[in-house]
Parts: sequence; structure tokens; C-alpha cells
Amino acid sequence: MEESVVSVRGFRKCYGATVAVRELSFDVKRGEIFALLGPNGSGKTSTLESLEGLRHPDGGELSVAGIDPSRQPRKLARLIGVQLQTSALPPAMTVDEAMRFFAGYHRVAARQGLVEKLGLGEKRSVQYAKLSVGQQRRLALAIAVCHEPRVLFLDEPTAGLDVQSRVDLHAMIRELREGGTTVILATHDMAEAEKLADRAGILLRGELAAIGTPRQLTASGARRTRISVSTENGRLLAEDVAISGAELRRRDEGYAVYFSENPGKAVAAILAWLEQAGDALVDLRVERPTLEERFLEITSASAVKGEQR
Amino acid sequence: MNAFLHHFSYDFKTGIRDRSRLLMFYLFPLVFFFLVGGLMGSVNPSFVPTMVPAMVIFAVMCAALLTLPNVLVGARESGVFRSYRINGVPAASILAIPVLGTLVHMAIVGAIVAVAGTRIYGATAPTAIPGFLAGAVLVYAAYAGLGALIGVAAGSGTSAILIAQVLYIPSIILGGLMVPLSILPGALQRIALILPASHGMRVMTSLGGIGAGAGVPWASIAALGSGAVLSFVLAALLFQWDTRASQPGGARMALALLALVPYAAAALAG
Repeated sequence: MEESVVSVRGFRKCYGATVAVRELSFDVKRGEIFALLGPNGSGKTSTLESLEGLRHPDGGELSVAGIDPSRQPRKLARLIGVQLQTSALPPAMTVDEAMRFFAGYHRVAARQGLVEKLGLGEKRSVQYAKLSVGQQRRLALAIAVCHEPRVLFLDEPTAGLDVQSRVDLHAMIRELREGGTTVILATHDMAEAEKLADRAGILLRGELAAIGTPRQLTASGARRTRISVSTENGRLLAEDVAISGAELRRRDEGYAVYFSENPGKAVAAILAWLEQAGDALVDLRVERPTLEERFLEITSASAVKGEQR
Repeated sequence: MNAFLHHFSYDFKTGIRDRSRLLMFYLFPLVFFFLVGGLMGSVNPSFVPTMVPAMVIFAVMCAALLTLPNVLVGARESGVFRSYRINGVPAASILAIPVLGTLVHMAIVGAIVAVAGTRIYGATAPTAIPGFLAGAVLVYAAYAGLGALIGVAAGSGTSAILIAQVLYIPSIILGGLMVPLSILPGALQRIALILPASHGMRVMTSLGGIGAGAGVPWASIAALGSGAVLSFVLAALLFQWDTRASQPGGARMALALLALVPYAAAALAG
């Protein structure tokens, strides 16, 4: 059994009469990248901030690296790294000063190599207020990992980053995982979660609606594979051809898009029909359901339930 | 220690690097001093002997009362305190370091005022330097305590400015900075003693050996000392990391007002 570094048991968080999170339970193992997904107001930030020691839970038990976050916040700060979604540094603080400042409080030497690694080498003497949003987020990440934390919390880590910075950041997160750091990230970017996370939990109205590896989560849905077909004469589209075991749902930019639970059979049937009809295949794409589609499926089912209540 | 030094060094540098702090720590009080020094000397000769303590207190009020609260409120509102909290920066450092950093800036301003006041305007120089410095530090502690308290208790930057002005403006008019407290009517003198500036003038002139000695003003020393301690204790109690976690503002302000009790007691005692 792998070691559980983060443990959430029956966690409950209320704001006045509003229950933001109810009876939430999950574990995150050492060296795992765990994504917390959910729409706005689903309880992601309340959960993360309670694990980070920024909020007090109203019920249940939380443990991060063996520490109760609300009871030992100072000790916790040495074991975790946090990149908050909404936070800031003093506007006049330079990149170098920030690294020295926070390394000092973490009782470690400032790792200037990190600054280079995160593409801030030329910005060492630039004040925080003069950095771009992406540079500010990279600096926040450098500070979060400067003391080699056991658990790293990232809230929307790639928001505001360009494509290259995003790729670099993903590489760095994977590198941290290889080094044994446990990463918990909250994100709206499903593609990011699918690419990075070992496991993901989907929160809806403060409850865990689904949990598992991205593959498990997508497989647990309608399991309908998308088959997009483009042909020379476009006869599939023109004739609304029915294919056994597949449902023609959409026409996207010259493609006939079928959904099927048995993609092998459906593709074979499409190819056979095209041959018989004298049309030639130009492009064929077979895509399994994405995490985003599964997420939307879960959230819309929840919305229907909510309306029925 | 390393963390404290980095924090202190950063905070001190910010006092010069940040334009609004540079304005309120140096430019405004020094320009005011040079203007008032020239004008008041001819209009009101009684101002000249006490010019040095009066202008030091004025500079202290600009820094501690008008600037420090905004530094704290601004950092809390923008999320800087949240960044500090998750990185293990203690609340005590957040309150203490700006207070200590500002004290160093005030020492520089005070030295300029003392040298320029005596050389250019013929102000009376303190004859007991250690006593004068002790008095200045006490006055600074009293105002810095109030500034820190306003910074943690005020719900926004706007309310911090308004609250600070409630102390600042009467201190300028009634605090004995421009005209001696003794020429005010009796009732106004009592009211003036609610202001730390009035006690500050008594303490700095007396301990600094400026003018005729009227004995050690123990009541004023006690008011400033206990006022400073009470303000810092209340600031520590009311400190909050996050604007979102605000308790009702009225209750917080009511508690903060307790910091004025030592001054009110001194005013009642006369």
C-alpha cells in the first residue's frame, strides 16, 4: 500500500448557512499528481485553502504530511509549497529579493537556479509590479518550490501563461513528481488535468462526484468514441448515411461525426459503405471521450438533478 | 535571523523605492519643515525654541499615522499577507518590521531637522541628547502603535485614511506643535492632552533639555508608554491575514478605541 500524504476525511466547510463542502473524503499518495476539478463554487478552493491551513474546517479531519493544517500552520508552511490563485507580493519587491526573502523564512538558501529555470533570469532586479502576469505566476511557483516541499498546491497554475510557459511548467511539475513531491492542483483546464494528473477528483456542489485516473473517469461515462470522417465526394454527409452501431450526431467542417460504443465495428462499417458507394476516404479520426466531455456530462447530469430537487 | 534581516532590509529599501512612502517619509515633512521654519519664526517667535521636537513629531505623524496604516491595509487587500502566511512569515514580523524600518527613516529625518533647525533657523538645540532621543523613540512608538492598530482594524484604505486624519489634524492644531499648549484655553488644553502629540512635546522638550525645565513629565511618559504597549497589543489581537475573514468592522473599531484610554486618563488627570 502506497503512503498517503494528504488525507481528507468527512471534511465539511460552511460559510454562514451555506454549506460549501460536505462530507468530502479522499487520499493523495506520495509522488502523485492529483487534480481537483469542478465548476466555480464547487468547493475546490475551500478544500485547497483548508488543506493549506488558510481556513478552518467545520468538520472532519484533514492531514497533510502528517500534520493537521489548522493546528500547526507554521510547521505546515515548511512542508508545503503553495501557488495561490489570488495572492500577490509587495509591488516594489524584486525577483531576487523575493527569492531571498521567502527562502529566509523557509530557512533554506535561496536557489537562484530556479529563477533561471523558470525563465526569470533576466528579470532578477525587476520589481514584482513590473512583471507580466505570467512572470508573476512563475515567480510564485519558484517561491512555492524554493524549499523543496513535500506537498505542492497549485491553484490554476497555468492561468495567464503562454503556450511555451505552459509546456515548461508542465515539465517542471512532472520533474517535481519524479523527485517525490506530491502535487495537488485545482484547474479549470481539463486538457491540463488529463495530461498531467495521475488521478483526478470532480467536485460538484461540495461533494465528490467522481474520482479516479483520467482514463477511469472518461471510461466511466457514456463510453462513446467519436469517429470523424471526411470523404472525397462527401456522400456520408449528403445522404445522412446510417451506420450500424453508430449514431450520426454532427457535421463539423466537412466531417461526418459518428458516436459509437463499438468503434472497431463502426469504422469497418463506414469503410465498407464508402467502398460500396464509390467514395474515397480523405481523413478518418477516432477519438476516445476526453476528460472535458466526461466533466461536462457529470456537471450537466448534476444540474438536471439540482433542478429536479 | 536571516529571514528577519532580509525582511528588514527589503522594508527599509522600500521606504525609498516606493514613491508614496518616499513622499510621506521625507519629501512632505522636510518641505513642510523648511517652509514653516522660515515663516513661523517671524510670525510666531515662540515656535522657534520648540521647532526641533515639533517638526520631529510632525514627521513621525506623517510616517506612522498617515503612511503605516495604508501600507498594512494595502498589503492585506492585495493578498500580500496571504503569500506571507503560506510561506511561514509570522504576523509579528509583518507588524514589527515596517515599524522598525520606519523608525530608521525617522531617525534620518530627525537628524536633518535637528541640524537644519538649529543651524538655519536658530532653533534651540537639545542639550540632553540621550533624553531627547529617548523621548523621540517614545513618541514614535506611541504613533507607530496607533498606525499599526489603524492598519489592522480599518476595513479599507479609505477608512484608514479617515481614521488617521481624525488624530492627525487635531494633533497639528492642538498638539503644541505650532503654538505652545500653555496658551490654549483650559478646556482646550484638556482636550489636547488626549492627543499623543501634546504628551510628546512635553516629553521631548523636558527630557531633551529644551527651554526651562518643569521637571520630568511622568504622566506624559506613562501615557505614551502605556498607549504604545496597548496599541501594539490590540494590533496583534486584531491582526487578520485576509480581508475576506473580516469580523464586523464596528466591533473591531470599538476594541481599537481602547488604545486611547491612557491618553484620556492623562487628560483627566491634567
